[in-house]
Amino acid sequence: MSVLDVDGLTKSFGQVRALDGVSFQVPAGGIFGFVGSNGAGKTTTMRIILGVLRPDAGEVRWDGRPVDLDVRRRIGYMPEERGLYPRMKVGEQLVYLARLHGLSPEAARTAMEHWTDVLGVAHRREDHVEKLSLGNQQRVQLASALVHDPELLVLDEPFSGLDPVAVDVMSGVLRERAQQGVPVIFSSHQLELVERLCDRVGIISGGRMVADGTIDELRATETVQWLLVMEPGAVWKGADAVGAADLGGGRWRVEAKDASSAQAILASAMKDGAVAEFSQVRPSLTELYRDVVTASDVVTASKEDA
Amino acid sequence: MSTIWLVAKREFRVRALSKANVITSLIMLAIIVGGAFVGRVFLGGGEAVTEVVHVDRAAVSELMPYLEASAAQREAPLEFVAVDTPAEPALAEGVVAIIGGSAGQPEVFLEDERGDIVEITAAAASAYVLDREISGLGGDPAEVGQALAQAVPTVTLLGDADELDPGSFFAGAMVIIALLFILIQSASVIMMGVVEEKVSRVVEILLATVRPSELLGGKILGVGLFALTQAVTLVAPMIFAAWYLDILKYVEVGIGPLLANFAVWFLLGFALYAILFGGLAALVSRQEDLGSVTTPMMLLMMAPLYLGIYLVPSSPDGTVTKVLTQIPFFAPFMVPMRTAFGAIAGWEIALAVVLCLATIPVAVWVAGRVYVGAVLNTGGSMNLGEALRRA
Repeated sequence: MSVLDVDGLTKSFGQVRALDGVSFQVPAGGIFGFVGSNGAGKTTTMRIILGVLRPDAGEVRWDGRPVDLDVRRRIGYMPEERGLYPRMKVGEQLVYLARLHGLSPEAARTAMEHWTDVLGVAHRREDHVEKLSLGNQQRVQLASALVHDPELLVLDEPFSGLDPVAVDVMSGVLRERAQQGVPVIFSSHQLELVERLCDRVGIISGGRMVADGTIDELRATETVQWLLVMEPGAVWKGADAVGAADLGGGRWRVEAKDASSAQAILASAMKDGAVAEFSQVRPSLTELYRDVVTASDVVTASKEDA
Repeated sequence: MSTIWLVAKREFRVRALSKANVITSLIMLAIIVGGAFVGRVFLGGGEAVTEVVHVDRAAVSELMPYLEASAAQREAPLEFVAVDTPAEPALAEGVVAIIGGSAGQPEVFLEDERGDIVEITAAAASAYVLDREISGLGGDPAEVGQALAQAVPTVTLLGDADELDPGSFFAGAMVIIALLFILIQSASVIMMGVVEEKVSRVVEILLATVRPSELLGGKILGVGLFALTQAVTLVAPMIFAAWYLDILKYVEVGIGPLLANFAVWFLLGFALYAILFGGLAALVSRQEDLGSVTTPMMLLMMAPLYLGIYLVPSSPDGTVTKVLTQIPFFAPFMVPMRTAFGAIAGWEIALAVVLCLATIPVAVWVAGRVYVGAVLNTGGSMNLGEALRRA
């Protein structure tokens, strides 16, 4: 099975270290969500995968071999900065791009017709790209990434600027591609979407991968949090003693290192009154992200102070 | 290679089929050809109307062959018709002169003063008299005529010809000015293309599948072919106009060498300028900033053009001229001009061509490095050194 292996990428722009040993793997059929704040290094990583930038160190391998131009031809790429010839017809442009990726004229035309149909821009084939709305240009951009039936998809912010219907269409296309065995990497700031769509998530911060795994794996690295709700009228007096955060309305959030300390916390609360609910909180990706990024920022900051 | 071709084909199609290009080409065609038609009217109708001269049949019929020969020699469009003239000579409609008297002493009757007809008649009469006398002395007029024809001095000019030869100047200037226009235009098209791809960011998806050298190479090839077709659509009507206005006969240098010159120096000049400035255009991030690259290019082209126009006519084979001819960026303008003056040795042309060819790889290298280093940079203009370091 084909695996994309990003191994120890390092890249500096002048004094700025954009990437610092970024590594991750995307197996065939997997959807890899790439999240991180602006300037964290997502786009630089993707540009290096596509050979648009050269890394100072590290390597990108596909099937165990370094990615060369031949492999890149089989990648579908959607850059962060959208780019199409503004004064070229949609259909003509997609055929041209497909031909550059090595398709025959007939195959290029068929693929162009297929993807403009699927993405709902078939009626705009004869229009210049600049006449299309931004959302439709975005669809054409995705079509340009898909038109040569790529073996790997690298999409930088494919969902930004799309309406909900288009988000669904695009999600569907990504899932369907993944099911066909195509590894998909995409970056996004819409973390709920990433959580819904991705098998694996990589969180990048300050040029370093600070977390990489399935969402459950990422959750496992966190201290388990519990939600405790008292019956109306009851007050948990011992809350401060265990470091619980008062959420108001008789609700507290509390961390427990392990199962026995969780039980101890519950027992302390039950001494003060009736407990209505005591349950594990499954942190959302947004919360995980916030925790991971804040933690790494603290580390980076303390390193810089030293 | 097929990728370069794909890129080149797109460039060619986009430019050649654009509405602006089709319209401009048609307008240029209309101006040049239309200008030729109008010009001919103002230049007094290039093809002179044949005028009729009546010749008194009884008196001077022996003179007829001499008149015709004499007129033909001067390329005078006169037609001599033998008539029986009345005692009182009167010019019939469309007749400019009547020649009477005798063959040895012709009389010319004219409406207006016409020196040319008088001259032709005088020459014819003296030739007639000469032949008659030679025959009378037992000689052969044909032999004498031949001997006379050979009795002309061979002229060799000593020292530099200070006189400006307008025909050569015109021919040479036409070639290098046309060259300048086409080079500036095509180099600008390439530069705008490079910046357009940068501005629209399409360059990033292109470079994910195409080598930078293939992208720049294809662009230069496509635009070059386009410029060549434009040159043909521009130069062909110009040659037609020159032929139609009968300017060609003033040009001592053949039109063939001029065109060959144009073709060779278009290719070499295009390769040098277009490649170099195509690469440098990548330094710019916005169309508005393109001036910072086009201005040096214009200067680099205008300087040799002016030298070609002002220096070459006064000193077609001076030392300075000879040295400048061998500088690659000057050669495309110096060589055609000197060729028009016929003041350049074969080895000089060959050396200039070789030097230009040798400079092309250097231009490719510089342009390629700058292009690769700068084409993905989008934050404002980049300086040359930075681009070279990034490549």
